[in-house]
Amino acid sequence: MRRRRATLCVIAAALVSAVMLFPIYWMLMTAVMPTSAILSRDPPLLPHPSEMSLAAFGAVIARRPFLLWTANSLIIGIAAALVSLVAAALAGYALSRWSFRFTRFSGAALLLGKLAPPSLVIIPLFIMFNLSGLIDTYQGLVLANVSTGVPLATWLMKGFFDRIPREVEQAAMIDGCTRLSALWHVILPLTRPGLASSGVYLMLVAWSEFVFARTLMTGEGHRVLTVGLQSFSGEYQVDWQGLMAAGALTTVPIVILFVLLEPFLISGLTKGALAN
Amino acid sequence: VTTATDAAALPVARRRRPLLREASRERLLALLLMAPALLAVLVLVLYPLARVVEISLRIGRSMNFARISLLPLGLGNYRLVFADPGFWQDCGTTALYVGGSTLLAFAIGLATALLLDMRFPARRLFRTLLLLPWAVPGVVASIVFRWMFDGSFGVVNAILRDLHATRADIPWLAEGSTALAAVMVPTVWKAYPLITLTLLAALQTIPGELYEAADVDGASALARFRHVTWPGIVAAAILSVLVSALWIFRDIDIVFAATGGGPARATETLALYVYTQAFQYFHMGQAAAVGVVMVGTALLGAAFAVAVAGKQRL
Repeated sequence: MRRRRATLCVIAAALVSAVMLFPIYWMLMTAVMPTSAILSRDPPLLPHPSEMSLAAFGAVIARRPFLLWTANSLIIGIAAALVSLVAAALAGYALSRWSFRFTRFSGAALLLGKLAPPSLVIIPLFIMFNLSGLIDTYQGLVLANVSTGVPLATWLMKGFFDRIPREVEQAAMIDGCTRLSALWHVILPLTRPGLASSGVYLMLVAWSEFVFARTLMTGEGHRVLTVGLQSFSGEYQVDWQGLMAAGALTTVPIVILFVLLEPFLISGLTKGALAN
Repeated sequence: VTTATDAAALPVARRRRPLLREASRERLLALLLMAPALLAVLVLVLYPLARVVEISLRIGRSMNFARISLLPLGLGNYRLVFADPGFWQDCGTTALYVGGSTLLAFAIGLATALLLDMRFPARRLFRTLLLLPWAVPGVVASIVFRWMFDGSFGVVNAILRDLHATRADIPWLAEGSTALAAVMVPTVWKAYPLITLTLLAALQTIPGELYEAADVDGASALARFRHVTWPGIVAAAILSVLVSALWIFRDIDIVFAATGGGPARATETLALYVYTQAFQYFHMGQAAAVGVVMVGTALLGAAFAVAVAGKQRL
């Protein structure tokens, strides 16, 4: 009885996973299918392995500034993640350890940042950045990503600090550490997994970001991946194979990152989601 | 690195005497630690939101951004927006889009969470697989479904033809009657994993004894769900629905990349209305006015959901 139930569960889970992952599968298959199969009214769901080719990936890299877009996405993602993480780790620690009226107020202010639509926030940012010469610069887009990254990561980091008992730094302080040196030498090393998963999460968010990048990066040379993908759709036709190949190249790195760091990410995210 | 024992070995005399009282020193330190994050939020979130309110109250438009603050104040933008039938149409579209997507995402999230809460082999692997769509960028999700929903060569029509469900080439995203439902699909696909995750975490906090007690009482599966499972996850359910609904309400990536709001505005949500008004027509004032209405709605909705969730917890 119990074994039969487990088997049924595995079958159900496999079926649901197959349906849910079909879009990702189809993106990969479209990228490697022969052109005749793509422009067919009855595409084979499982293309023959001998017909598959990686030519579309090569074409994307050769015919479009794909590597430039990737480099831009990486620069923005890493810079935004680092800046947000430093601010968020310090603030998350303060929010976790103290509850002054001031910390509660700033907690509320950080939450408000999560309510505003990016398409709205970009209006004043566009105006501010225009007046201060930050349009079409890396700094501008990094700052825009920091505006969403800091509130997000602060709550994640607060969750991680909450799990470290206060006695840890109290012991260090009794031994003569100041609170700051206790934070630096004792608490931060303990929360390394939290820092890593928040950092990856911030990278993921910046890598996927579209509205800010499309609006602020007006020049071709500063395009990021998510914006570059839009250039595959011409006025009359779409280069579907190139688009799926580029989409796969955009998605695969972060999916790998997600799979590797899933346990960390999950504990942090559920904590954060429930705490808010 | 100073270890605890090294610090303890320091002579007492070398410890500095505090300059400020303990309490005010702690307060100062908290402020200093919060400063970078607060600065970022003040300059990049709160000030911009205040500017949004201001811009929404400036009548007329100026392509010279430095001169926007010189325009006269008034409620003209709100009047223009409320008189625009397109705005009311977008309100309806948004309600359908947010409500429908959230409901579907919740149904899938609940079903998958209940499944993953059972005991079976390779459960961890399936959890990772089922959470994957969450990591796919919205723009990518959108273009993949655009390809799958393509009228002539899309795989969705091909499968439907194989199943003899249709013989036509349905251009799902280009047809006014189906476009809204079609953009909801990638939205649901990207939104459900977070609900799965939150509900699964809540499910795993329900003590096993409660289920055993229900079994002893001979409760049916439905009764078990109603009296044991649901009370254990209802607060998490409300919060996950809130977080997902807010995300779907704010986001434009999916709709923008799938349809751009078309055909004939059939898929234009309020968040997209804000963007097109601002950056296609340069009606910054009207865009900001709609944005203010949106943030107000989101605040009210969030406060309501948090209040309901709080009551459930007691």
